[in-house]
Amino acid sequence: MRRPRATIVFVIVCSLFVTCGVSSASPARSAAVDRPAATSPAFPVSVKSGDGTVRIPSQPDRILCLSASATQMLYEMGAGNQVVGVDEYSTWPANAPRTKFTGDESSAEDYLYLKPDLVIFAFSSGTLIQQLEKLHIPVLLLPPASTIGDVDSQLAELGTAAGHQSGAKSVRASFEADIASAVHSAAGAGRGATYYLELDPTSYYTVTSGTFIGAEFSLFGMRDIADAAGHGSQYPQISPEYLLKENPDYVFLADTICCGATSANFARRPGFSVLKAVRLHQVVGVNDSVASQWGPHTMEAFVSLLARVLRQGAPSS
Amino acid sequence: MTLAAAEEAPPTLFDTAPAAPPTIYPTRLRPCHVLIGVGFLLIAATASVLIGPADLPAGAVIKYLLNKLPFVHLHSGLSTTGAIVVWQLRMPRMVLGGIVGAMLAVAGASYQGVFSNPLADPYLLGIASGAGAGATIVIVEGPALGHLPSSALPPAAFLGAVVAVVATFALGRPRAAERSAASMLLAGVAVSAFFVAVQTFLMQRSSPGDLTLVYGWILGGLSTAGWGQVELVLPYVAVAAAALFACRRLLDVLSIGDEEATSVGVRASRVRLIVIVAATLGTAAAVSVSGLIGFVGIIVPHTIRLIAGPSYRRIIPLSLLFGAGFLIFADILARTVLSPGEVPLGVVTAFLGAPFFLVVLRQARTLG
Repeated sequence: MRRPRATIVFVIVCSLFVTCGVSSASPARSAAVDRPAATSPAFPVSVKSGDGTVRIPSQPDRILCLSASATQMLYEMGAGNQVVGVDEYSTWPANAPRTKFTGDESSAEDYLYLKPDLVIFAFSSGTLIQQLEKLHIPVLLLPPASTIGDVDSQLAELGTAAGHQSGAKSVRASFEADIASAVHSAAGAGRGATYYLELDPTSYYTVTSGTFIGAEFSLFGMRDIADAAGHGSQYPQISPEYLLKENPDYVFLADTICCGATSANFARRPGFSVLKAVRLHQVVGVNDSVASQWGPHTMEAFVSLLARVLRQGAPSS
Repeated sequence: MTLAAAEEAPPTLFDTAPAAPPTIYPTRLRPCHVLIGVGFLLIAATASVLIGPADLPAGAVIKYLLNKLPFVHLHSGLSTTGAIVVWQLRMPRMVLGGIVGAMLAVAGASYQGVFSNPLADPYLLGIASGAGAGATIVIVEGPALGHLPSSALPPAAFLGAVVAVVATFALGRPRAAERSAASMLLAGVAVSAFFVAVQTFLMQRSSPGDLTLVYGWILGGLSTAGWGQVELVLPYVAVAAAALFACRRLLDVLSIGDEEATSVGVRASRVRLIVIVAATLGTAAAVSVSGLIGFVGIIVPHTIRLIAGPSYRRIIPLSLLFGAGFLIFADILARTVLSPGEVPLGVVTAFLGAPFFLVVLRQARTLG
């Protein structure tokens, strides 16, 4: 019997859709990272989550981590071989089993093929969490950190949840030492210096010192020009005129990936050639993720870069 | 409603089938209306170049600007940075605000005329959703397409808007030779829904950083205005506004109905096509540099209609003046309400628009 052409096309399209969906959702599981053996505490454990306390009955060995910052923490503490999937924004380490998940899926059912026994979110709607709880899958919510102390607390909670308390403790000690060393190496060069961190070249959205990345600048005694513009918001919108008026010593462009911002095209914007940061070549392009991730790897890399910029000037790009 | 009550009811803006003989409205532009419009625009423009976070002395700013005129030589006393603030930031922002506001207001009035629909606005045929989808594609898929810089946003938004309106035209064309306004409106709804779906899908897949960019564009603003954008948008808006200005008498004829218009020798479908193409082109150019700024195309023409009457020979030219002044004024609020922070311009026009319109409507009813 001859099938109508439309039906054939429909079947082919559906098949492609299903194939693409499966292949894109499957994590590219790569070689496991060599890590120390888990130092398992007595399970069950209760850990503090962003939405209360969560009870984890046994040490998880199929963790689905939908927070790029938590992914860094897990791998740093040696729990990488327990991770079965990470979200698409988890770019470090490179061999993490990345999926197409964003943590904003419409149904928890999408995650089930990975058979997770712990799911970690940074942001999540209550619905997803409720659905996972109904499936008896523990959910740990680690919301965006706004201080370095928050990172320390999250490392401790995550270490307990993953059964790697001693690993977490050594990561905490190591990253605190690295940060102290970076700050020390700047020798007070940033004290009192002003800065502007750009998130968006089309609307001039920025951050105040009340954010996590603002706290990193504060380590060096730097002052955020956007603090006066906050009015209760940590992500205010400012105007180019205000930028010219404040004339910051340093400009950091955290929109290099999303929007192609560079120190050269920043200097070409109307009126910006007279900015002190432009004249002194102190406009620095950074990875966009520094403004949205608070994992120890991102933080250490940014703090080291900041120390180097304050000591030696902006890297030529 | 009883017959007596109907007789006592005040006339509404869009009574389409009056039982009584048609009222003859004055159509000639009154000098006092033009003077008020020019005065409003001048006040808004002056305030716009004098107000800003840089706290520049008003006298120095005025002297600096007068110095730009031929044969005028004044010492303004402005610093180099002050001069840059005035000439490269405030002036293009004010001029671009005026151009965008004038275009949106005139396009809104024209759409209301050709569709005989008081709720018609410049985004009726899918411009907003098409431009939004174009901008979102560039923002979300930009890195995959080779790290397109933000300069790709205006052409992408413009292209998206034009594609959406062309699709509306193609779908809204009935089998009969004549284009009907109703089928065009329905096609606009369908095309808008499709492009909104595309945009929503892309936003759902985008990172939080991309979402900030998309929302920043959707909410509209003039913070990155420069002379380059003025040069980019001015030719389109000038041609579109001139075409709509030339069609103002024909819009009056269309308001009595297509059949009646045909009986006096006006080809309604051709006029409708010219007006829609001109309004679309101008609006697409305007939103490509300003993002989506709502309400201007509804508030301004309706306010003028209440003050100056329903003739498009009055509404179109006055919409140019008041639309420009309105958006410049709204932009002043956008950058002063939370100074030195900014509020998205689209939020300000929405906040101002609805209550302002209600006040004008109430006053008109009281007077009428």
